[in-house]
Amino acid sequence: MAIIKGYDMPDELYYHEEHSWARVEGNRVTVGMDDMFQKEAGDIVFVDLPDEEDEFEQGEVCGKIQSRKWIGKLCAPVSGEIVEINEELEDDTSLVNQDPYGKGWILVIEATDLENELTNLMQGDSLLPFIDQEIKRTEEERAKA
Amino acid sequence: MDSWRLFKDTVNPASTALGLSIDDTLPLSLSQHGSPPILHLYTFKPSAIVGKYQDIEAALRLDRCKDRGIEYNRRSTGGGTVIMGPEVVALGLGINIDQPGLKKGIGGIFESLSTILITALQDLGIKVGFRPRNDLEVDGKKIAGLSATLETEKAILFHASLLVDFDIPLMLDIMNQPALKLYDKGYNCFSQRITTIKEQLGYDIDMATVIGAIEKAFSQKFSVSFEKDEPDTWEKKSIKDLINNRYTNPDWIFSHKHPRSKMGIGEFKTPGGLLEIYLSLAGSTIEHIIITGDFFSTTKDINLLESALKWTSAKREKIEEHLSEVWKEDMIHGVTVNTLTEAIVKAKENPVMR
Repeated sequence: MAIIKGYDMPDELYYHEEHSWARVEGNRVTVGMDDMFQKEAGDIVFVDLPDEEDEFEQGEVCGKIQSRKWIGKLCAPVSGEIVEINEELEDDTSLVNQDPYGKGWILVIEATDLENELTNLMQGDSLLPFIDQEIKRTEEERAKA
Repeated sequence: MDSWRLFKDTVNPASTALGLSIDDTLPLSLSQHGSPPILHLYTFKPSAIVGKYQDIEAALRLDRCKDRGIEYNRRSTGGGTVIMGPEVVALGLGINIDQPGLKKGIGGIFESLSTILITALQDLGIKVGFRPRNDLEVDGKKIAGLSATLETEKAILFHASLLVDFDIPLMLDIMNQPALKLYDKGYNCFSQRITTIKEQLGYDIDMATVIGAIEKAFSQKFSVSFEKDEPDTWEKKSIKDLINNRYTNPDWIFSHKHPRSKMGIGEFKTPGGLLEIYLSLAGSTIEHIIITGDFFSTTKDINLLESALKWTSAKREKIEEHLSEVWKEDMIHGVTVNTLTEAIVKAKENPVMR
């Protein structure tokens, strides 16, 4: 478990720059949104999930997430077919806020090019500059404004 | 000075299909067609427009809409139902999230764009402020609502509606709200929560003046000039496709991609008096809440508490957390955060039929 600048970013997960995370078990990749996203977004109102058997490329928008009056996107961290979705989110979207890496998981992808695509994601030490950059960018913009 | 495009029509109210299709084309034009930011200022024909993930059949009394000739549709941005018409300014903005002058993050973007509308309203002589959960208010009463969606990698569509004048009886007739169970209190209830530019100014003002003030505020904020323009051939095709495939398509308008909708009513006796809570829930989220009863408080404080809860989780601990963020001593005489939370939870657990 790693806390980076106040955000919980578990070491064993891979992270996409649009804040989706990937837990790899063989070719099955469980996907959710990271702690930085859920803290910034606030209470999640609705998760617009894809259908099972839908296929997506790495980085493609595979779902949408409404928080307050904002609708953002869920990007597939790896390419592949959706093989499972978290149906509990239909009744309780607060799981994404309360337990983003556990009960708040969103979907599972059967990956098609995992070995190559994992190199495009961030993990462990490579997250620190990314989080720093995200925080710095926000602070700079606030100062300018 | 950079030049942005301005689509403006203050004369001919648009159908919901046309207005919303133009708006959806704005971020697409930025990301796929190389357009600079586009501001769309206009009005709608009398209509009710629900948020992208709302249950339209639960939100509106569609039979009353049909009887009264009120259009209804679903927009692509978040949030709740808005009642639009020739005296409500509709604003669509296509802009990139890295546009200089726009703050970062979801909250930052809403704050930046709210600031512009605040400047415009102040220019008209109205003292207005931003309140949490993306509304603009005057003395605790809502005067404008905001919503947005991230359409592509970095282009967003931002929507706002500004009330120049507003027909509360119409709203009460066509919307499904738990407080409508209180027919006798309905008008007073909403007139204490909504205000308009005309009410604040105390005189009539034409739409062109209001829209001109918004245009000027955008121009100042981003140091840009506006070029009055119309959709080009590429954009016209996109608009036509959206009208045909989305905004006249029952699958879109009556989409079932939304959280389950519920209403609840709760009464709770406290040392400060009786608390009555009227709640609309979208899944596990509070979509709308009215706090009323025979206690002592101010309209401004009650509206602040209600705003703090809108579009937040309906879980007890979250209700407590969000109330505590804005709570001031004696906000409701004889009532604490705990008792108010208890009353809201009671309403949640006491569902009523629409």
